[in-house]
Amino acid sequence: MLIVRRRVGQAILIGDQVEVDVLEIQPGRVKLGVVAPKEIPVIRAEVKLTRQQNLEAAGGATPEKAAELAERLRSRAAGAESGSGPQQESPERPRNDEVSRSA
Amino acid sequence: MRFQTRHFGIIEFDDDAVFQFPAGLPGFEDEHEFVALEQPRIRPIVFLQSLKRPDLCFITLPVQTIEPAYRLSVSAEDLRLLELPEDRQPEIGKQVLCLAIVAVAEGQTPTANLLAPLVINLANRRAVQAIMSDSGYSHRHPLPVPADEESVCSSCAEGSARQS
Repeated sequence: MLIVRRRVGQAILIGDQVEVDVLEIQPGRVKLGVVAPKEIPVIRAEVKLTRQQNLEAAGGATPEKAAELAERLRSRAAGAESGSGPQQESPERPRNDEVSRSA
Repeated sequence: MRFQTRHFGIIEFDDDAVFQFPAGLPGFEDEHEFVALEQPRIRPIVFLQSLKRPDLCFITLPVQTIEPAYRLSVSAEDLRLLELPEDRQPEIGKQVLCLAIVAVAEGQTPTANLLAPLVINLANRRAVQAIMSDSGYSHRHPLPVPADEESVCSSCAEGSARQS
């Protein structure tokens, strides 16, 4: 991997046709401008991950697989009625998430 | 409307049940229309059937069934596409339906794409696969597997039938 340090306003060139400009830097974030010919697609890496995941998901989507998955989810939920609606939360239920461990 | 599908035979639905994806989905950029199919025996799974390719469907789950505290961080660009206000995130279940695409591969733990949920504006049925780069969610979020795998498999026939 080539690692280069650049400042705002500077750029790097990839081959003859692709230019990456550093436009703006913030803590934890950088804004880049990419100049590339139309035939070279420029996408964020997450788009590629999602594309791969979509292709894989479409390949395995059958009613049988769905039934299998539904069964798995149901056995996990152990009978709890878990429809797609909002979860019902009993307001009276005591909060147990702040148990002290002083014992 | 009627449509012949590969897995579900002929399906019938109202015009307003159709989700419009103006930008398609990554990997399926030419697929703009899907319809949601729900079957009681596979709840809470929702099938998303393409209305262009009879063989194309996705297994999806409402995000809140995976992650009850799921938070949206839809980009301004995607909110525009959905024709929703850009200054705040839409409310799941009220303004938008939010589905995660599930990948089920042989011998692997099923995963859901929580990084890029399908967000559907309930008011106008416009939809987008919103890639939420800053959300911290995974595109391969593992779905829970039952502790006792055996007891689940004994009740369903092994060797899944293949439909053609």
